[in-house]
Amino acid sequence: MPSIKLHPHCSTPVKATATDTTPNNPLPALLQTPSGLALLELQGTINVPSGNEEEDDIDYSSSTDNPASTFETPIGKLMFPDYSVHNPDDTKWMKRAYMYVGRYQRMTGEVKKLPRPIAVLQKRQASEGEELEVVEIVRYKIFFKSRPEPVTNV
Amino acid sequence: MSTQDSRSILFTHTRPQEGFRLLELTPELEALLTSKDAPALELKSPSTALAQAVVDPTAHDYVNLCTPTQTYRIRQVQSSNSLHILRPSRGEISQADIKVVEDEAGESGALNLPDEAVTALAKCSSTLELHIPPGGFSAVPFLEKSLRLYDRRSDDDGDIAMGGSADSTGPLGSKEMRTARENLCQDIPVSTAQCEQGWMELCAFVDGAEEMACWRPSARSRLAVWKRLVEGAVLQNIDLEKQFLVGDLWKSVLDDDEEMEPPFPRALLEAVVRRICIADERPPLTDDIKWASFDKLECTKWVGETYLAANAPTTSSAIGRSDFLHAWKDCLPETWRGEAALSKLPNGCYNSPDPTTIYFVEPAQRQPTNKTASAPATAAKNKNTRNWHELLKGRR
Repeated sequence: MPSIKLHPHCSTPVKATATDTTPNNPLPALLQTPSGLALLELQGTINVPSGNEEEDDIDYSSSTDNPASTFETPIGKLMFPDYSVHNPDDTKWMKRAYMYVGRYQRMTGEVKKLPRPIAVLQKRQASEGEELEVVEIVRYKIFFKSRPEPVTNV
Repeated sequence: MSTQDSRSILFTHTRPQEGFRLLELTPELEALLTSKDAPALELKSPSTALAQAVVDPTAHDYVNLCTPTQTYRIRQVQSSNSLHILRPSRGEISQADIKVVEDEAGESGALNLPDEAVTALAKCSSTLELHIPPGGFSAVPFLEKSLRLYDRRSDDDGDIAMGGSADSTGPLGSKEMRTARENLCQDIPVSTAQCEQGWMELCAFVDGAEEMACWRPSARSRLAVWKRLVEGAVLQNIDLEKQFLVGDLWKSVLDDDEEMEPPFPRALLEAVVRRICIADERPPLTDDIKWASFDKLECTKWVGETYLAANAPTTSSAIGRSDFLHAWKDCLPETWRGEAALSKLPNGCYNSPDPTTIYFVEPAQRQPTNKTASAPATAAKNKNTRNWHELLKGRR
Protein backbone atom coordinates (compact mmCIF):
# COMPACT_ATOMS: atom_id res chain seq x y z
CA MET A 1 0.00 0.00 0.00
CA PRO A 2 1.55 3.28 -0.91
CA SER A 3 2.23 5.73 1.81
CA ILE A 4 0.25 8.95 2.03
CA LYS A 5 2.11 12.17 2.56
CA LEU A 6 1.05 14.50 5.32
CA HIS A 7 2.38 17.96 4.65
CA PRO A 8 3.12 20.19 7.61
CA HIS A 9 1.71 23.28 5.96
CA CYS A 10 -1.23 24.21 3.86
CA SER A 11 -0.46 24.53 0.15
CA THR A 12 -3.03 27.24 -0.25
CA PRO A 13 -3.17 29.22 2.96
CA VAL A 14 -6.71 30.21 3.76
CA LYS A 15 -5.67 33.81 3.91
CA ALA A 16 -4.12 33.86 0.48
CA THR A 17 -7.25 32.63 -1.23
CA ALA A 18 -9.35 35.33 0.31
CA THR A 19 -7.04 38.24 0.81
CA ASP A 20 -9.69 40.78 0.01
CA THR A 21 -12.47 39.19 1.92
CA THR A 22 -10.74 37.83 4.99
CA PRO A 23 -13.36 38.55 7.58
CA ASN A 24 -12.56 39.97 10.97
CA ASN A 25 -12.26 37.29 13.56
CA PRO A 26 -14.76 38.15 16.27
CA LEU A 27 -13.53 35.48 18.67
CA PRO A 28 -11.40 36.33 21.70
CA ALA A 29 -7.73 36.65 20.74
CA LEU A 30 -6.83 33.44 22.55
CA LEU A 31 -9.07 31.46 20.23
CA GLN A 32 -7.83 33.06 17.07
CA THR A 33 -5.50 31.12 14.83
CA PRO A 34 -3.68 32.19 11.67
CA SER A 35 -6.16 30.37 9.46
CA GLY A 36 -9.12 31.50 11.56
CA LEU A 37 -10.15 27.96 12.44
CA ALA A 38 -11.37 27.24 15.95
CA LEU A 39 -12.91 24.26 17.72
CA LEU A 40 -16.29 24.05 19.37
CA GLU A 41 -17.36 20.95 21.24
CA LEU A 42 -20.98 20.24 21.97
CA GLN A 43 -22.69 17.53 23.86
CA GLY A 44 -25.10 16.47 21.19
CA THR A 45 -25.15 17.83 17.73
CA ILE A 46 -26.45 20.61 15.59
CA ASN A 47 -29.38 19.51 13.51
CA VAL A 48 -29.99 21.52 10.43
CA PRO A 49 -32.64 20.67 7.91
CA SER A 50 -31.16 18.33 5.33
CA GLY A 51 -30.28 19.68 1.93
CA ASN A 52 -33.23 18.05 0.24
CA GLU A 53 -35.79 19.90 2.23
CA GLU A 54 -34.20 23.18 1.49
CA GLU A 55 -33.79 22.70 -2.18
CA ASP A 56 -37.04 24.44 -2.87
CA ASP A 57 -35.89 27.54 -1.10
CA ILE A 58 -32.65 27.99 -2.93
CA ASP A 59 -32.60 30.42 -5.76
CA TYR A 60 -30.96 28.26 -8.39
CA SER A 61 -30.68 31.00 -10.94
CA SER A 62 -27.87 32.58 -9.00
CA SER A 63 -26.17 29.68 -7.29
CA THR A 64 -25.96 26.71 -9.62
CA ASP A 65 -23.36 28.24 -11.87
CA ASN A 66 -20.95 28.71 -9.03
CA PRO A 67 -19.89 25.41 -7.54
CA ALA A 68 -18.19 27.15 -4.65
CA SER A 69 -21.45 28.67 -3.60
CA THR A 70 -22.08 28.18 0.06
CA PHE A 71 -24.73 29.47 2.33
CA GLU A 72 -24.99 29.86 6.05
CA THR A 73 -27.90 29.08 8.28
CA PRO A 74 -28.01 31.15 11.47
CA ILE A 75 -28.21 29.01 14.57
CA GLY A 76 -27.71 31.36 17.45
CA LYS A 77 -25.10 33.44 19.14
CA LEU A 78 -21.88 32.94 21.01
CA MET A 79 -20.97 35.13 23.92
CA PHE A 80 -17.99 35.41 26.19
CA PRO A 81 -19.57 37.57 28.88
CA ASP A 82 -16.42 38.19 30.91
CA TYR A 83 -14.08 38.81 28.04
CA SER A 84 -12.66 42.21 27.52
CA VAL A 85 -10.50 43.21 24.58
CA HIS A 86 -8.74 45.65 26.86
CA ASN A 87 -7.44 42.98 29.15
CA PRO A 88 -6.52 40.06 26.95
CA ASP A 89 -4.01 38.54 29.38
CA ASP A 90 -6.56 37.93 32.07
CA THR A 91 -7.89 34.45 31.45
CA LYS A 92 -10.74 34.38 33.98
CA TRP A 93 -13.20 35.01 31.17
CA MET A 94 -12.51 31.50 29.91
CA LYS A 95 -14.65 30.09 32.70
CA ARG A 96 -17.85 31.28 31.10
CA ALA A 97 -19.21 31.12 27.60
CA TYR A 98 -22.77 31.16 26.36
CA MET A 99 -24.29 29.76 23.27
CA TYR A 100 -27.79 30.83 22.41
CA VAL A 101 -29.69 28.49 20.20
CA GLY A 102 -32.40 30.40 18.49
CA ARG A 103 -33.66 33.10 20.76
CA TYR A 104 -34.93 31.28 23.78
CA GLN A 105 -32.41 28.62 24.65
CA ARG A 106 -28.97 29.00 26.10
CA MET A 107 -26.08 26.68 26.83
CA THR A 108 -23.42 27.51 29.37
CA GLY A 109 -19.91 26.38 28.74
CA GLU A 110 -16.32 27.42 28.96
CA VAL A 111 -13.14 27.81 26.98
CA LYS A 112 -10.64 25.08 27.69
CA LYS A 113 -7.04 24.55 26.82
CA LEU A 114 -6.76 21.22 25.05
CA PRO A 115 -4.74 18.63 26.96
CA ARG A 116 -2.90 18.05 23.72
CA PRO A 117 -2.99 20.35 20.72
CA ILE A 118 -5.05 19.14 17.80
CA ALA A 119 -3.95 19.35 14.20
CA VAL A 120 -6.73 20.03 11.73
CA LEU A 121 -6.07 17.96 8.62
CA GLN A 122 -7.49 18.32 5.19
CA LYS A 123 -7.07 16.66 1.85
CA ARG A 124 -4.61 18.64 -0.15
CA GLN A 125 -6.34 20.24 -3.05
CA ALA A 126 -4.96 19.96 -6.55
CA SER A 127 -2.71 17.05 -5.70
CA GLU A 128 -2.53 14.04 -7.94
CA GLY A 129 -2.73 11.22 -5.46
CA GLU A 130 -4.12 11.35 -2.02
CA GLU A 131 -2.21 13.78 0.11
CA LEU A 132 -3.07 15.42 3.39
CA GLU A 133 -1.97 18.64 4.95
CA VAL A 134 -2.07 20.28 8.32
CA VAL A 135 -4.29 23.32 7.98
CA GLU A 136 -3.96 24.50 11.53
CA ILE A 137 -2.86 23.49 14.99
CA VAL A 138 -5.51 24.37 17.54
CA ARG A 139 -4.79 24.63 21.25
CA TYR A 140 -8.10 25.72 22.76
CA LYS A 141 -11.69 24.72 22.39
CA ILE A 142 -15.03 26.23 23.27
CA PHE A 143 -16.76 23.51 25.22
CA PHE A 144 -20.48 23.19 26.00
CA LYS A 145 -21.17 20.12 28.04
CA SER A 146 -24.60 21.02 29.41
CA ARG A 147 -28.01 20.94 27.83
CA PRO A 148 -29.67 24.13 26.65
CA GLU A 149 -31.79 25.92 29.25
CA PRO A 150 -34.71 28.13 28.41
CA VAL A 151 -34.13 31.85 28.70
CA THR A 152 -36.44 34.76 28.18
CA ASN A 153 -34.18 37.73 28.53
CA VAL A 154 -32.91 38.06 24.98
CA MET B 1 -32.37 44.01 23.61
CA SER B 2 -29.40 42.20 25.00
CA THR B 3 -28.93 42.34 28.72
CA GLN B 4 -25.20 41.77 28.34
CA ASP B 5 -22.73 44.43 27.47
CA SER B 6 -20.28 42.02 25.93
CA ARG B 7 -20.37 41.43 22.23
CA SER B 8 -22.40 38.63 20.89
CA ILE B 9 -21.18 36.76 17.90
CA LEU B 10 -23.60 35.37 15.40
CA PHE B 11 -23.17 31.64 15.03
CA THR B 12 -24.12 29.97 11.77
CA HIS B 13 -23.91 26.65 10.05
CA THR B 14 -22.35 26.47 6.60
CA ARG B 15 -23.55 24.24 3.86
CA PRO B 16 -22.00 22.40 2.16
CA GLN B 17 -19.84 21.25 5.03
CA GLU B 18 -16.14 20.64 4.47
CA GLY B 19 -14.15 17.55 5.27
CA PHE B 20 -11.55 17.71 8.01
CA ARG B 21 -9.88 15.22 10.29
CA LEU B 22 -8.60 16.03 13.75
CA LEU B 23 -5.30 14.61 14.88
CA GLU B 24 -4.23 14.86 18.48
CA LEU B 25 -0.55 15.77 18.63
CA THR B 26 2.08 14.55 21.03
CA PRO B 27 4.46 17.22 22.35
CA GLU B 28 7.27 15.95 20.10
CA LEU B 29 5.04 16.01 17.07
CA GLU B 30 3.82 19.50 17.88
CA ALA B 31 7.40 20.70 18.14
CA LEU B 32 8.24 19.03 14.86
CA LEU B 33 5.26 20.46 12.97
CA THR B 34 5.77 23.97 14.26
CA SER B 35 9.52 23.96 13.63
CA LYS B 36 10.88 26.10 10.87
CA ASP B 37 11.69 23.35 8.43
CA ALA B 38 8.93 20.98 9.32
CA PRO B 39 9.33 17.77 7.35
CA ALA B 40 6.48 16.06 5.53
CA LEU B 41 5.13 13.13 7.51
CA GLU B 42 3.87 9.87 6.13
CA LEU B 43 0.88 7.69 6.79
CA LYS B 44 2.05 4.16 6.17
CA SER B 45 0.41 0.79 6.24
CA PRO B 46 2.03 -2.50 5.26
CA SER B 47 1.48 -4.00 1.83
CA THR B 48 -1.16 -6.71 1.80
CA ALA B 49 1.47 -9.45 1.61
CA LEU B 50 3.47 -7.99 4.47
CA ALA B 51 0.38 -7.51 6.61
CA GLN B 52 -0.31 -11.23 6.27
CA ALA B 53 3.28 -12.20 6.93
CA VAL B 54 3.84 -9.97 9.94
CA VAL B 55 0.68 -10.23 11.96
CA ASP B 56 0.12 -7.59 14.55
CA PRO B 57 -1.94 -9.23 17.30
CA THR B 58 -3.36 -5.91 18.43
CA ALA B 59 -4.76 -4.71 15.12
CA HIS B 60 -5.98 -6.08 11.82
CA ASP B 61 -5.81 -3.02 9.68
CA TYR B 62 -3.74 -0.19 10.85
CA VAL B 63 -2.11 2.98 9.71
CA ASN B 64 1.05 4.33 11.25
CA LEU B 65 2.07 7.95 11.28
CA CYS B 66 5.77 8.24 10.58
CA THR B 67 8.02 11.21 11.16
CA PRO B 68 11.55 10.86 9.78
CA THR B 69 12.61 9.14 13.00
CA GLN B 70 9.54 8.07 14.92
CA THR B 71 6.49 5.89 14.38
CA TYR B 72 3.06 6.19 15.97
CA ARG B 73 0.05 3.95 15.68
CA ILE B 74 -3.07 5.90 14.75
CA ARG B 75 -6.21 5.10 16.68
CA GLN B 76 -9.55 6.57 15.77
CA VAL B 77 -11.44 7.55 18.91
CA GLN B 78 -15.16 8.11 18.61
CA SER B 79 -16.79 10.67 20.82
CA SER B 80 -20.43 11.12 21.71
CA ASN B 81 -19.82 14.83 21.67
CA SER B 82 -19.52 16.54 18.35
CA LEU B 83 -16.58 18.74 17.52
CA HIS B 84 -17.34 21.55 15.14
CA ILE B 85 -14.74 23.48 13.27
CA LEU B 86 -15.45 27.19 13.20
CA ARG B 87 -14.25 29.96 10.97
CA PRO B 88 -15.11 33.64 10.80
CA SER B 89 -18.09 34.01 8.56
CA ARG B 90 -17.68 35.39 5.09
CA GLY B 91 -21.09 36.88 5.29
CA GLU B 92 -23.11 34.58 3.06
CA ILE B 93 -26.00 34.82 5.47
CA SER B 94 -29.44 35.61 4.39
CA GLN B 95 -30.42 38.69 6.32
CA ALA B 96 -33.95 37.41 6.45
CA ASP B 97 -32.80 34.37 8.39
CA ILE B 98 -31.23 36.43 11.12
CA LYS B 99 -34.70 36.90 12.53
CA VAL B 100 -34.33 33.41 13.92
CA VAL B 101 -31.84 34.64 16.45
CA GLU B 102 -32.50 38.33 16.80
CA ASP B 103 -35.67 40.13 16.04
CA GLU B 104 -34.37 43.60 16.52
CA ALA B 105 -31.09 43.17 14.80
CA GLY B 106 -31.29 46.39 12.91
CA GLU B 107 -32.15 48.46 15.91
CA SER B 108 -29.76 47.16 18.55
CA GLY B 109 -26.90 47.33 16.09
CA ALA B 110 -25.16 44.62 18.06
CA LEU B 111 -25.65 41.78 15.74
CA ASN B 112 -26.50 42.48 12.18
CA LEU B 113 -22.95 42.83 10.99
CA PRO B 114 -21.70 39.88 8.95
CA ASP B 115 -18.16 40.38 10.20
CA GLU B 116 -19.37 39.61 13.69
CA ALA B 117 -20.18 36.04 12.84
CA VAL B 118 -18.51 32.65 13.00
CA THR B 119 -19.70 29.67 11.09
CA ALA B 120 -19.46 25.93 11.65
CA LEU B 121 -17.66 24.51 8.64
CA ALA B 122 -17.36 20.90 9.55
CA LYS B 123 -18.29 18.38 12.16
CA CYS B 124 -16.03 15.64 13.43
CA SER B 125 -17.35 12.86 15.60
CA SER B 126 -13.99 11.25 16.07
CA THR B 127 -10.42 12.28 16.60
CA LEU B 128 -7.25 10.47 15.67
CA GLU B 129 -5.02 9.68 18.61
CA LEU B 130 -1.46 8.51 18.49
CA HIS B 131 0.25 5.98 20.62
CA ILE B 132 3.40 3.90 20.73
CA PRO B 133 2.85 0.33 21.90
CA PRO B 134 5.15 -0.98 24.64
CA GLY B 135 8.32 -2.18 22.99
CA GLY B 136 7.98 0.39 20.21
CA PHE B 137 8.16 -0.26 16.52
CA SER B 138 10.82 -2.18 14.67
CA ALA B 139 11.38 -2.69 10.99
CA VAL B 140 13.15 -6.00 11.60
CA PRO B 141 10.14 -8.37 11.35
CA PHE B 142 9.06 -6.68 8.12
CA LEU B 143 12.56 -6.68 6.68
CA GLU B 144 12.97 -10.35 7.51
CA LYS B 145 9.92 -11.09 5.38
CA SER B 146 10.70 -8.80 2.50
CA LEU B 147 14.45 -9.30 2.10
CA ARG B 148 15.76 -12.35 0.33
CA LEU B 149 17.87 -14.68 2.40
CA TYR B 150 21.50 -14.74 1.37
CA ASP B 151 23.01 -18.04 2.41
CA ARG B 152 26.02 -18.85 0.29
CA ARG B 153 29.04 -20.10 2.03
CA SER B 154 32.18 -18.61 0.67
CA ASP B 155 34.28 -21.03 2.68
CA ASP B 156 32.73 -23.98 0.87
CA ASP B 157 34.97 -25.68 -1.60
CA GLY B 158 32.47 -26.02 -4.36
CA ASP B 159 29.72 -23.93 -5.66
CA ILE B 160 30.42 -20.33 -5.13
CA ALA B 161 27.09 -19.52 -6.58
CA MET B 162 27.53 -15.93 -7.53
CA GLY B 163 27.23 -16.45 -11.24
CA GLY B 164 28.80 -13.58 -13.10
CA SER B 165 29.76 -11.97 -9.87
CA ALA B 166 33.02 -10.74 -11.35
CA ASP B 167 31.22 -7.52 -11.99
CA SER B 168 28.97 -7.71 -8.97
CA THR B 169 31.14 -5.26 -7.10
CA GLY B 170 31.24 -2.74 -9.86
CA PRO B 171 27.99 -2.01 -11.60
CA LEU B 172 25.77 -0.99 -8.72
CA GLY B 173 26.29 2.60 -7.77
CA SER B 174 25.38 3.76 -4.30
CA LYS B 175 22.52 5.64 -5.85
CA GLU B 176 20.95 2.49 -7.29
CA MET B 177 21.43 0.69 -4.01
CA ARG B 178 19.75 3.52 -2.23
CA THR B 179 16.80 3.48 -4.60
CA ALA B 180 16.40 -0.26 -4.18
CA ARG B 181 16.46 0.10 -0.41
CA GLU B 182 14.03 2.99 -0.38
CA ASN B 183 11.60 1.16 -2.63
CA LEU B 184 11.63 -1.77 -0.28
CA CYS B 185 11.10 0.46 2.76
CA GLN B 186 8.06 2.09 1.17
CA ASP B 187 5.96 -0.89 2.20
CA ILE B 188 7.32 -1.11 5.71
CA PRO B 189 5.06 0.83 8.04
CA VAL B 190 7.71 2.42 10.23
CA SER B 191 9.78 5.56 9.98
CA THR B 192 12.75 5.86 7.66
CA ALA B 193 15.19 5.99 10.57
CA GLN B 194 13.74 2.81 12.05
CA CYS B 195 13.85 1.10 8.65
CA GLU B 196 17.50 2.05 8.32
CA GLN B 197 18.23 0.88 11.84
CA GLY B 198 16.66 -2.51 11.09
CA TRP B 199 18.44 -2.70 7.76
CA MET B 200 21.75 -2.05 9.47
CA GLU B 201 21.11 -4.54 12.30
CA LEU B 202 20.39 -7.30 9.81
CA CYS B 203 23.46 -6.42 7.70
CA ALA B 204 21.10 -6.15 4.74
CA PHE B 205 22.62 -5.24 1.40
CA VAL B 206 21.73 -4.71 -2.23
CA ASP B 207 23.30 -6.86 -4.89
CA GLY B 208 22.75 -6.84 -8.58
CA ALA B 209 24.80 -9.82 -9.71
CA GLU B 210 21.94 -12.00 -10.91
CA GLU B 211 19.15 -9.57 -10.57
CA MET B 212 18.80 -6.47 -8.52
CA ALA B 213 17.67 -7.58 -5.09
CA CYS B 214 17.86 -6.71 -1.43
CA TRP B 215 19.32 -9.44 0.72
CA ARG B 216 19.74 -10.32 4.34
CA PRO B 217 22.65 -12.61 5.02
CA SER B 218 22.04 -15.73 7.10
CA ALA B 219 23.94 -16.02 10.36
CA ARG B 220 26.20 -18.52 8.61
CA SER B 221 27.02 -16.03 5.86
CA ARG B 222 27.65 -13.26 8.34
CA LEU B 223 29.98 -15.47 10.30
CA ALA B 224 31.80 -16.45 7.12
CA VAL B 225 32.30 -12.78 6.26
CA TRP B 226 33.64 -12.13 9.73
CA LYS B 227 36.08 -15.05 9.65
CA ARG B 228 37.32 -14.00 6.26
CA LEU B 229 37.82 -10.41 7.27
CA VAL B 230 39.74 -11.39 10.38
CA GLU B 231 42.01 -13.59 8.27
CA GLY B 232 42.48 -10.81 5.78
CA ALA B 233 43.19 -8.25 8.48
CA VAL B 234 45.81 -10.51 10.06
CA LEU B 235 47.50 -11.15 6.72
CA GLN B 236 47.53 -7.50 5.74
CA ASN B 237 48.37 -6.31 9.22
CA ILE B 238 45.23 -4.22 9.61
CA ASP B 239 44.53 -3.28 13.22
CA LEU B 240 40.76 -3.60 13.51
CA GLU B 241 40.64 -1.53 16.69
CA LYS B 242 42.20 1.46 14.98
CA GLN B 243 40.75 3.28 12.02
CA PHE B 244 41.24 1.42 8.79
CA LEU B 245 40.11 1.94 5.22
CA VAL B 246 37.23 -0.35 4.35
CA GLY B 247 38.70 -0.52 0.85
CA ASP B 248 41.89 -2.00 2.30
CA LEU B 249 39.91 -4.56 4.22
CA TRP B 250 38.05 -5.51 1.04
CA LYS B 251 41.34 -6.01 -0.78
CA SER B 252 42.58 -8.15 2.07
CA VAL B 253 39.68 -10.58 1.77
CA LEU B 254 40.17 -11.03 -1.95
CA ASP B 255 42.39 -13.80 -3.11
CA ASP B 256 45.75 -12.86 -4.51
CA ASP B 257 44.73 -14.40 -7.75
CA GLU B 258 42.96 -11.58 -9.53
CA GLU B 259 41.02 -14.03 -11.64
CA MET B 260 39.24 -15.49 -8.67
CA GLU B 261 35.77 -14.36 -7.96
CA PRO B 262 35.30 -12.45 -4.73
CA PRO B 263 34.13 -14.68 -1.89
CA PHE B 264 31.06 -12.50 -1.39
CA PRO B 265 29.78 -9.15 -2.67
CA ARG B 266 31.58 -6.10 -1.43
CA ALA B 267 28.24 -4.67 -0.31
CA LEU B 268 27.94 -7.55 2.15
CA LEU B 269 31.34 -6.84 3.66
CA GLU B 270 30.40 -3.21 3.99
CA ALA B 271 27.09 -4.12 5.61
CA VAL B 272 28.87 -6.29 8.19
CA VAL B 273 31.50 -3.63 8.85
CA ARG B 274 28.78 -1.06 9.26
CA ARG B 275 26.95 -3.30 11.72
CA ILE B 276 29.91 -3.90 14.01
CA CYS B 277 31.87 -0.69 13.71
CA ILE B 278 31.89 1.81 16.55
CA ALA B 279 28.43 3.33 16.53
CA ASP B 280 29.56 6.93 16.88
CA GLU B 281 31.66 6.63 13.76
CA ARG B 282 28.98 4.95 11.69
CA PRO B 283 28.12 7.09 8.67
CA PRO B 284 24.48 7.50 7.67
CA LEU B 285 23.19 4.69 5.48
CA THR B 286 23.03 7.04 2.53
CA ASP B 287 26.80 7.52 2.67
CA ASP B 288 29.41 4.94 1.78
CA ILE B 289 31.36 3.58 4.67
CA LYS B 290 34.96 4.51 3.96
CA TRP B 291 36.61 4.36 7.37
CA ALA B 292 35.79 2.17 10.29
CA SER B 293 37.18 0.82 13.50
CA PHE B 294 35.83 -1.91 15.73
CA ASP B 295 35.16 -1.99 19.41
CA LYS B 296 36.57 -5.17 20.90
CA LEU B 297 33.67 -5.72 23.31
CA GLU B 298 30.84 -5.01 20.89
CA CYS B 299 32.43 -7.06 18.19
CA THR B 300 33.02 -10.02 20.46
CA LYS B 301 29.42 -9.92 21.55
CA TRP B 302 28.18 -9.84 17.97
CA VAL B 303 30.46 -12.67 16.90
CA GLY B 304 29.31 -14.86 19.81
CA GLU B 305 25.67 -14.25 19.06
CA THR B 306 26.17 -14.80 15.34
CA TYR B 307 28.11 -18.01 15.92
CA LEU B 308 25.35 -19.33 18.11
CA ALA B 309 22.67 -18.34 15.60
CA ALA B 310 24.60 -20.07 12.84
CA ASN B 311 25.42 -23.27 14.68
CA ALA B 312 22.74 -23.80 17.31
CA PRO B 313 19.61 -22.07 16.06
CA THR B 314 17.11 -24.32 17.88
CA THR B 315 16.72 -26.38 21.03
CA SER B 316 17.30 -29.59 19.13
CA SER B 317 20.57 -28.33 17.71
CA ALA B 318 21.93 -27.15 21.05
CA ILE B 319 25.70 -27.42 21.34
CA GLY B 320 28.00 -27.93 24.29
CA ARG B 321 28.88 -24.80 26.17
CA SER B 322 32.59 -25.39 26.25
CA ASP B 323 32.62 -26.28 22.56
CA PHE B 324 30.80 -23.05 21.90
CA LEU B 325 33.26 -21.00 23.95
CA HIS B 326 36.19 -22.59 22.15
CA ALA B 327 34.69 -22.00 18.73
CA TRP B 328 33.80 -18.43 19.67
CA LYS B 329 37.38 -17.75 20.73
CA ASP B 330 38.65 -19.28 17.52
CA CYS B 331 36.60 -16.78 15.54
CA LEU B 332 38.24 -13.84 17.26
CA PRO B 333 41.58 -12.18 16.58
CA GLU B 334 44.30 -13.66 18.80
CA THR B 335 44.39 -10.74 21.22
CA TRP B 336 40.62 -10.72 21.76
CA ARG B 337 40.30 -14.34 22.83
CA GLY B 338 40.06 -13.42 26.49
CA GLU B 339 36.89 -11.42 25.86
CA ALA B 340 34.68 -14.39 25.05
CA ALA B 341 32.47 -15.33 28.00
CA LEU B 342 28.83 -16.29 28.33
CA SER B 343 28.17 -13.21 30.43
CA LYS B 344 29.21 -11.05 27.49
CA LEU B 345 26.41 -12.32 25.26
CA PRO B 346 23.46 -9.98 24.76
CA ASN B 347 20.66 -10.42 27.26
CA GLY B 348 18.36 -13.33 26.55
CA CYS B 349 20.03 -14.33 23.31
CA TYR B 350 20.64 -17.89 24.49
CA ASN B 351 18.94 -20.60 26.45
CA SER B 352 20.18 -23.79 27.99
CA PRO B 353 18.16 -26.99 27.85
CA ASP B 354 20.59 -28.45 30.39
CA PRO B 355 23.61 -27.09 32.26
CA THR B 356 26.13 -28.13 29.64
CA THR B 357 24.49 -27.07 26.39
CA ILE B 358 23.36 -23.87 24.84
CA TYR B 359 21.28 -22.71 21.90
CA PHE B 360 20.25 -19.48 20.23
CA VAL B 361 16.98 -17.68 20.93
CA GLU B 362 15.49 -15.63 18.10
CA PRO B 363 15.07 -11.97 19.03
CA ALA B 364 11.30 -12.26 18.63
CA GLN B 365 11.12 -15.15 21.12
CA ARG B 366 13.23 -13.57 23.82
CA GLN B 367 11.79 -12.95 27.22
CA PRO B 368 11.12 -9.28 27.57
CA THR B 369 13.73 -7.71 29.75
CA ASN B 370 12.68 -5.89 32.88
CA LYS B 371 12.63 -2.64 31.04
CA THR B 372 10.02 -3.59 28.48
CA ALA B 373 8.00 -5.61 30.96
CA SER B 374 7.40 -2.61 33.15
CA ALA B 375 6.66 -0.37 30.19
CA PRO B 376 2.94 -1.21 29.87
CA ALA B 377 2.38 -0.37 33.52
CA THR B 378 3.94 3.05 33.20
CA ALA B 379 2.21 3.60 29.90
CA ALA B 380 -1.12 2.91 31.54
CA LYS B 381 -0.30 5.28 34.32
CA ASN B 382 0.62 8.03 31.94
CA LYS B 383 -2.40 7.46 29.82
CA ASN B 384 -4.70 10.38 29.92
CA THR B 385 -7.83 9.57 31.82
CA ARG B 386 -10.28 10.55 29.14
CA ASN B 387 -10.42 7.17 27.53
CA TRP B 388 -12.41 5.14 30.03
CA HIS B 389 -12.26 1.97 27.93
CA GLU B 390 -8.55 1.88 28.58
CA LEU B 391 -8.98 2.76 32.23
CA LEU B 392 -11.41 -0.05 32.86
CA LYS B 393 -9.31 -2.51 30.93
CA GLY B 394 -6.39 -1.73 33.20
CA ARG B 395 -8.40 -2.39 36.33
CA ARG B 396 -9.71 -5.74 35.35
